[in-house]
Amino acid sequence: MSRVAEYVQIVEEVFHKKPKEYLVIGKTVKKYNSLELALGKPVYLADYINRFKELLWLKTVRSPYAHAKIKRIDFSEALKLKGVVGVVTADDVPGSKNIGYVLPDQPVLAYDKVRYHGEGIAIIAAVEKEIAEEAVSLVKVEYEPLPVLLDPLKALKPDAPKIHDKGNILTRFKIRRGNIEEGFSKADAVVEGEYRVNQQEHAYIETEGVIAIPEPDGTITLIINTQCPFDVRRDVSRATGLSFNKIRVIVPMIGGGFGGKEDVLNIIGARAAIAAMKFRKPVVLIHDREECVLDHSKRHAGIMRYKHGATKDGKLVAVQGEIILDTGAYASLGPFVLWRATVHSVGPYVVPNAKIDSVLVYTNKLYAGAFRGFGCPQVAFAVERQMDKLAEKLGMDPLEFRLKNILREGDQTVHGQLLDHSVGLEDILERLGKASNWKQKRAEYEKFNRETKGVIRKGIGLAIWWHGNSIGAEGADYSSAVIIINRDGTITYRTNITDFGNASPQGHIMIVSEILGVPLEYIHIERPDTSAAPDAGPTVASRGQVMGGNAALVAAYKLRQRLNQVAADMLECSPDEVVIKAPDVYCKSDPSKRISWRDLVEECFWRGVPLQEIGYYRAPRAIWDDETGQGQPYFTYTYVGAIAEVEVDIETGKVRVTKLYGAFDIGKVINRVGLELHAEGGAIMSMGYALTEEVKYDENGLVMNPNLYAYYVPTILDVPDSIEYEFIEAGFKRGPFGAKGFGEPSVEPWHPAIANAIAYALKVDVNEIPATPERIYRLLKKAGLLKI
Amino acid sequence: MSEEYPLIPVKFVVNGKEVEVKVKPYERLVDTLRYRLGLSSIKEGCGRGECGSCVVIVDDKLVPSCLMLTVQVRGKKILTLEGIGSEDKLHPIQKAFIETHAPQCGFCIPGVIMAAYWLLEVKKNLNPSIDDIKEALSGNICRCGSYFRFIKAVQLAAEELRKMKKI
Repeated sequence: MSRVAEYVQIVEEVFHKKPKEYLVIGKTVKKYNSLELALGKPVYLADYINRFKELLWLKTVRSPYAHAKIKRIDFSEALKLKGVVGVVTADDVPGSKNIGYVLPDQPVLAYDKVRYHGEGIAIIAAVEKEIAEEAVSLVKVEYEPLPVLLDPLKALKPDAPKIHDKGNILTRFKIRRGNIEEGFSKADAVVEGEYRVNQQEHAYIETEGVIAIPEPDGTITLIINTQCPFDVRRDVSRATGLSFNKIRVIVPMIGGGFGGKEDVLNIIGARAAIAAMKFRKPVVLIHDREECVLDHSKRHAGIMRYKHGATKDGKLVAVQGEIILDTGAYASLGPFVLWRATVHSVGPYVVPNAKIDSVLVYTNKLYAGAFRGFGCPQVAFAVERQMDKLAEKLGMDPLEFRLKNILREGDQTVHGQLLDHSVGLEDILERLGKASNWKQKRAEYEKFNRETKGVIRKGIGLAIWWHGNSIGAEGADYSSAVIIINRDGTITYRTNITDFGNASPQGHIMIVSEILGVPLEYIHIERPDTSAAPDAGPTVASRGQVMGGNAALVAAYKLRQRLNQVAADMLECSPDEVVIKAPDVYCKSDPSKRISWRDLVEECFWRGVPLQEIGYYRAPRAIWDDETGQGQPYFTYTYVGAIAEVEVDIETGKVRVTKLYGAFDIGKVINRVGLELHAEGGAIMSMGYALTEEVKYDENGLVMNPNLYAYYVPTILDVPDSIEYEFIEAGFKRGPFGAKGFGEPSVEPWHPAIANAIAYALKVDVNEIPATPERIYRLLKKAGLLKI
Repeated sequence: MSEEYPLIPVKFVVNGKEVEVKVKPYERLVDTLRYRLGLSSIKEGCGRGECGSCVVIVDDKLVPSCLMLTVQVRGKKILTLEGIGSEDKLHPIQKAFIETHAPQCGFCIPGVIMAAYWLLEVKKNLNPSIDDIKEALSGNICRCGSYFRFIKAVQLAAEELRKMKKI
């Protein structure tokens, strides 16, 4: 049974067709809800509150310790408060007390002990928000503090206190390719470095929230701002014991996600569901800002040690790496993050000999999990710093050096995966070099820095990266979409790929519009709802457009085949000759033969030709050998590159990014506006990672900046003077119309480019981000460059 | 708590209409506007004046409605996004935000538009420099990073307003 699935054939057929002109693909069009957005009308979670007459407000009792035994909880004072309805603790969890995306190590509500600052212990339900808040302050919890582990290197030691019973090491991965000793023996230049990255906070402006409604028939409905409705359903099922078909998950418009609105919603979804079932009333639980920071996953902090070797003519011969990611108190998506980091750990280069070892460690920090980039931004920083240092040692231009080593069509990745098509890296480097005037600027800034008497130093830096699309060997990789053509000719589109500002659902309807030949205005997107459309998989891993888009494409294609048949009959021409340009439908060879779209739809209803379709797509299977790290971890890669120009004030240590240039091989532009917004927004988020964003802890593991005033998200005052970018279309035959994902790769090249630019400006080794003024000061001091 | 305090009547003007509401003494303006008056464009992002998504204009001042109690706005005039334009009659700033495709997740947008409105229509700076725009919008965090578009949108709206007002 090696027959190629029909949906695979359909996607490839559409890819190869390549019409002269597209109806909407690649065009600049308005987003489906652009008018509502300008009017402030999209409905977010909290906007549902007014629709309920009676809601109980839930508030969470949280741990003031990063690691402690829970000795006793006394709710008596809290329960005396007028308006308090009751409490929920771990004892009320009817199903599994622990849940988790990869492994069930995380309690729905903590029992026995707490492992991070702010961990939820109990839920108070009250008739008013303020009463619930006051009641929380009246709960008395007796703790026995335990030793707090914040340093992953200490947590790795055999005699370290155990955060979980099984120990502090969660998982390891490796890559073995060629012969590392032989590789280094051929090297004329070797560089070694240790790099550190810190925790980044998603800082979406809408915090997490859920409304849970116990239905009269014993089922439960959740309205919840999750990126992944089916993951919420799975974990709420585990925690409540209800089967999947008794849990309905509806997703409103979401105020940002970036990977943060994933597993935390499974947990608070379970908390709210249990409270709603216990009190038999609809409940609402919305995190305030501090709870939001304390109680959802972060980008993993980590330590990376690399050794790179190259020949004197600039060919990489060996890469050795050790990656330690700190997953904080719970696994969350950490094991998958570490896997992705490992897969991408040598960068988009031809590396004949590689030895990579990675490890994931528990500490008592806030738990780390999914964050746009998912392990790539960490290793990208280390690898791209190494590449610059190696180029310098070889006396080569960093761009020229990369050109000698990048992956091209026909090359094998470090996993032995043959890249037979769709590798746009060479184009990326050449266009970046041209757009930024790279060589001239490098010379100019070198001269400026040598001659200046002032406090500003100028730098320019480059980085490239790659990003495996969708979830690869992490799990079952499928998506679905529903198209219904209504009898009045309008179209209902349902996807459980969610919209949190990402471009995917808009891209889907552009695909549907293109294939059916109808204007975008005919199509209405319904909100994700597990009871209204099949499992689309999670909206993560840059898969919304590629996987969800393919499902939409397959459904639209099948409907189009049926429509063509009926239209051919009505027009008396062959189905291949049918042109649909709604409201017109005509015959290509004789446009005078013409009917209307509505006539065609009506005729289908009369003839009994069904005009609804569920599209399905399953990604090509991924292959990964745990012992060697060889295989085909992802079905394709998006390639990205960036150049950053910076000005560093050597008196204050403040870095200003002045100009940014980007080039991205995204396969094929479908939703142009969506891609542009990702390029610009990704650059800003990545700039924050490079310069200012860091969750800080005191020595007891308490978070010092759970807010937006001491955790520095870039504001409009920080934006560079300009950003220029272009898209390269090295079409991918298994993506919709050739498209690859861009959600995550859009944050990946900027921060290493900025770090390289700072290093060039100051002639120091930027080995930790964010490169805050304090760190710049220390680097300058170490290099003896401080005037004072 | 609600049982212990009587509700307090407060009269003020919202979007040109006088309203009288009975509120809890500790009730924040953001909650009154959102939950009693149904003005759901106003978004709460932080509840502590750090993100700018709940800003409204109170007597010509741009204020985070999460940091004001409703009893403090007695007799004052409040303007929210609902009051500056409608589906049939968009304000030039709203048009410009659509034209420049500025919104991504959309959560910060009502606050950002109010800040832009304050700059162009309250401060009446119809020839804003890029620095003027940045300063006016500096209290609004957009995590999706649409800042480049915001600058373009405000410039575009200023141009349109100059045309409309024949300046």
